[in-house]
Amino acid sequence: MKILLMGHPNVGKSVFFNRLTGSNVIESNYPGTTVDYTKGYMVLENRDIEVIDVPGTFSLEPKDKAEEVAVKMLEEEKDAIVVCVIDASKIERGLYLTLEIIEKGYPVIIALNMWDVAKDKNIEIDVKNLEKILEVPVIPTVAISGEGIKEVVSRIKEAKPVKIKNIIKNVGG
Amino acid sequence: MDKKLSEMRYGEEGVVKSIEGDLRNKVAGMGIRVGKKIKMITKQPIKGPVVVLVDEYRTSLGLGIADKIIIEVRK
Amino acid sequence: MLSIDERWDLIDKISKKTVKFGKYKHTLKDAVGELTVKPLTGIPVAVAVLYGFWSVFSSFAGFCTDGFLVKIFDGYWLPWLQNIFPGGLHNWLYNLMVDAGHIENGVLVPSDNCFEAFGVLTSGLFVPFGVVLPAVFIFYLMMTLLEDIGYLPRLAVLIDTVLHKIGLHGYAIVPTILGFGCNVPAVTATRILETKKQRFMMMTLLGIFIPCGAQLGIMEEVIPDTMGFVILYLLFGYFVFGFILNKIIPGKSPEILIDIPPYQRPTIHNVRKKVWIRVSGFLKVAVPFVILGCLIVGVMYITGFMDWLANALSPLLTNWFGVPKETVGPLVAAFMRKDLAVAQLSAIEMTKYQMITSVVLVSIYFPCLATFIMILKEGGKELLGSLAALVASVFIFGGLIHLIWILLGVA
Repeated sequence: MKILLMGHPNVGKSVFFNRLTGSNVIESNYPGTTVDYTKGYMVLENRDIEVIDVPGTFSLEPKDKAEEVAVKMLEEEKDAIVVCVIDASKIERGLYLTLEIIEKGYPVIIALNMWDVAKDKNIEIDVKNLEKILEVPVIPTVAISGEGIKEVVSRIKEAKPVKIKNIIKNVGG
Repeated sequence: MDKKLSEMRYGEEGVVKSIEGDLRNKVAGMGIRVGKKIKMITKQPIKGPVVVLVDEYRTSLGLGIADKIIIEVRK
Repeated sequence: MLSIDERWDLIDKISKKTVKFGKYKHTLKDAVGELTVKPLTGIPVAVAVLYGFWSVFSSFAGFCTDGFLVKIFDGYWLPWLQNIFPGGLHNWLYNLMVDAGHIENGVLVPSDNCFEAFGVLTSGLFVPFGVVLPAVFIFYLMMTLLEDIGYLPRLAVLIDTVLHKIGLHGYAIVPTILGFGCNVPAVTATRILETKKQRFMMMTLLGIFIPCGAQLGIMEEVIPDTMGFVILYLLFGYFVFGFILNKIIPGKSPEILIDIPPYQRPTIHNVRKKVWIRVSGFLKVAVPFVILGCLIVGVMYITGFMDWLANALSPLLTNWFGVPKETVGPLVAAFMRKDLAVAQLSAIEMTKYQMITSVVLVSIYFPCLATFIMILKEGGKELLGSLAALVASVFIFGGLIHLIWILLGVA
């Protein structure tokens, strides 16, 4: 089993990754600028699990080679769990990518990162309700301070594939 | 009044009315879609790119791309 | 699978049930964010940022190298090695490892600095650690800060106006600036560009016209007066050749379509990690190649092959490019490392104008071996085209500079 971290560029994904994996990180080649990916390991239920920090992408319709790499990596890891790192203050745009990943049948867990920024912008998100509609764990996080990271780790096992039909049903008319 | 995104003036606001063909796929993930409010922030000189505001996201589009997006400007 | 509109409709519904958007107040950060992307205010800021980048780079690198490292290497390390290393100026192992010496008035004399000694243990260590390391370190530190603050997308938008005219993309500024550090990560960063054509153009331009941090560091050290001219020529070449390549290479040059994120405060942890990875990655590539370069050039001198090559190429070098035939040594070294080659050039007697020409020649005539391997990895077969462009540009450009000197009456 592998864990893929996916999200837009500039949502604090690499800081999030550092929090998850600690120091045992393997850089593949140069990290260039947002184009290369980083691999690391985290301990989950006494097992070492590989975590991959996928290059940032806006959708699964690649615009450039970096996004192409992201999409390819997702396709190569058929049995991966995807942690979607979303900028909570731009939740709609983040959900677009998340839905695309859910539609492909991947088990997903959502980290609403930059939760503090969203609060500053007076954005209120009903996390419980969002979990009920999407049927996947949704956790507010602030990667820079480490808030919520532990909860993400402890709930990774709850990630499961969801049928898009269910989400449509859950949200109602 | 309808006009191309590339023809909007600084500070002008409108609603996206249509997006040409396969460009829809490209801009969808960035939050630009039919029915969304859009505001022109700046245009670069000598046919440079434009910068627009959609929701609270700022996106930069080349002038040729901006040509393919039709906006209903509200007066 | 949903269609785009179905997906967005679903998101709108979800958002309506779970998200409340309060009144959004624009902050100072937003205002600064917009001012730095509007041309009237953004362009002066961009110029200031790049100028600041440059002055911090050159003063920091100069301070470390001239202030400390030159004194340590020339004052202690070189004399100490010359003393304790067995052999002497007429021993080949000594020549290779410590000091090749040079001829003065027909007599072979020892070198008095690490630029000229050209031994594996002297120049081979001094060039990467004494001169290049400080330059590369400060370069990557500033690059990482610009990246993490979120300034680069704004710079990309501002510069897209110009770069799109030569078929590139605003984001081509990222590999370009990175190339001023080292072409190896710069070649990797060309992936940020959309089409094969753009990536190919970028790699070619990087390989030919962008001097790397190692080279800049050395130029700053040995030819500070003429350095400005050299860079001017290279940038001129960048745009002229970009323009020509854009016309002759088939393929698309799609327009810019990028997100402009708000400014962010960089985290120390992230900056430290990125800089460390980049600097250590640089050293891993640079040190072996510098040492190998010292060895190969040393062996070529000892076996007399270099003299033969210099004589064979002498008509071309002196008549077409207008530089002394001794520059053949640096040209060979340039295949391994540009910094090494510039260091070696500084030891040859020539006029200021010949120096400019030969430094430009060394810069453009071939990407260093590490870059070459990188381009091969990323670009594959198209490299052949790149090489053709290279040979053509070296001849035309080198001759052109010579012509300018002739017209100015200084050659």
